[in-house]
Amino acid sequence: MKILSMSTATSDLSVAIRQDGQLTFAKMEKNQRNHSVDLDPLIEEGLKETGLTLKAIDRFAVAIGPGSYTGLRVGLTTAKMLASILGKDLVGVSTLKALALNCAGRNALVVAALDARNQNFFAGAYRGQEAVIEDGHYALGDLLDQIQALPDQEVIFTGSDFTKYADAIKEGLAGKQVTFAEGDDNLLQAGQVALLAEKAAPIDPDQAVPNYLRRTQAEYDWQKKTGQAFEADSAYVEEV
Amino acid sequence: MNKEKDIRILAFESSCDETSTSVVKNGSEIESLVVATQIKSHARFGGVVPEVASRHHIEVITQITKEALAEAKVTWDDIDAIAVTHGPGLVGALLIGINAAKAASMATGLPLIGVDHIMGHITAAQLVDKIEYPAMALQVSGGHTEIVLMKDPTHFEIVGDTRDDAAGEAYDKIGRVLGVNYPAGKTIDQWAHQGKDTFNFPRAMIDEDNYDFSFSGLKSAFINTCHHADQIGEKLDKYDLAASFQAAVVDVLAAKTIRAIKQYQPKTFIMGGGVAANLGLRERMDQEIAALANPPKVILPPLKLCGDNAAMIGAAAYNQYLEGDFADLRLDADPSMELPYAADYK
Repeated sequence: MKILSMSTATSDLSVAIRQDGQLTFAKMEKNQRNHSVDLDPLIEEGLKETGLTLKAIDRFAVAIGPGSYTGLRVGLTTAKMLASILGKDLVGVSTLKALALNCAGRNALVVAALDARNQNFFAGAYRGQEAVIEDGHYALGDLLDQIQALPDQEVIFTGSDFTKYADAIKEGLAGKQVTFAEGDDNLLQAGQVALLAEKAAPIDPDQAVPNYLRRTQAEYDWQKKTGQAFEADSAYVEEV
Repeated sequence: MNKEKDIRILAFESSCDETSTSVVKNGSEIESLVVATQIKSHARFGGVVPEVASRHHIEVITQITKEALAEAKVTWDDIDAIAVTHGPGLVGALLIGINAAKAASMATGLPLIGVDHIMGHITAAQLVDKIEYPAMALQVSGGHTEIVLMKDPTHFEIVGDTRDDAAGEAYDKIGRVLGVNYPAGKTIDQWAHQGKDTFNFPRAMIDEDNYDFSFSGLKSAFINTCHHADQIGEKLDKYDLAASFQAAVVDVLAAKTIRAIKQYQPKTFIMGGGVAANLGLRERMDQEIAALANPPKVILPPLKLCGDNAAMIGAAAYNQYLEGDFADLRLDADPSMELPYAADYK
């Protein structure tokens, strides 16, 4: 199986190709903000380097969330159009599960967390590939309480710059051994997305949307003001 | 023309709150047009919320691409190029169409064309009738109020522009004061036809020696009139208020546009954008142009082509196709893209 994977969920853009269980291309452009401009050329570079065409790809995989809202849409729009037009599989992989895989060999609880500002994180905790705290939007204090209640002694954090939270995290997890992932282990990599995509079930491109894990502030404000329940997103869009 | 091969363009438009796809043949014939509107969603907030708009665009993009091909009864093999609006508009919203179009271009190997949204709106006229150049357009919407001179199918210049609010924006803002739901234009237009111009709101810049507009003073005068009446417990007639507001808008748009037509002597006059659907404005422009000594041919696109739609993008893209004006896979959104100003712009 040939998998082309992409990650645009964080500030690091990456594309990977995995052929029959082997990673044959992986490239990351770190700390850049213009994924929409650089993604397609990077895909073309990967195809050129592996001698593949898009038509030869069996499965398009993407980090589907959480992450930067605009970034997620750049990756998913691209992946779902490719899958839809070429009639191939589309697979969405949890951004946090892919991040956690960076540290999976270390026999510890891995907490993958993306800084969502104001002491909030998009986070999930994994033992290997098993989610023990579901992907969600958590206040740091609540997240630490949940981790502290788990039996795991060793905890690794990955996915963000935790420098300014390090003291609060160590205090909240007193008694546990806390470390922070370094270098590329702290970055979302398309290679991990491709690896997880191998065994994941494909999703329908027409139904696929990013897993934002948060509605917009405007929607929460509207709900607070009107007391009304949200309808399905599709109920708000009409073909005319 | 019949001997030459037909050129089919599949176009995407997602610059604001409509996601649209279309197949256009030879820049003039709509073979399919799909428009998914988010009006019901943004009505909750009283205006377009950019993040919500982007979220809706990505929900429907693959589905409406398939529908555009199916409705036109063609496959990708019948398509010659892919076109997309790349600005101006909401950046996150534009990016959905752009990334969809680029992915489609990679998947099919078809050339990619980036289209200016405003040139698209104006070129919608090409779907109705042949445009003779030089042509002139009055482009009025929630985001723009411009008089545009078109020297040929791909060279457009602004000769008049709004200094502050767009005309459509002013409609939405006074609509809020009258308790009319967003978008307010249609209701205000209907009320205006049932009332009289009794309030004499200001006609800003109407006598100035340029083709520019200003609507913020009118908006303030309107709001002050309503607030003052509220304070003294007086109830104003909403039909007369609407008629007075609309008369002020239409007076200035018509006066300046007619003066520009007299100076530049275009062979075709086009009215485009959401506010071009306004009946008061249509009636007035028809009347004034008919009274000219040497009237240009007038093209008023039907209502469906006045709002945001991908067919207009397919029409404009065809003109660029003929000139070999193609984009590459690095095509990016340009949210504040502007047409150039004419050399004699005052």
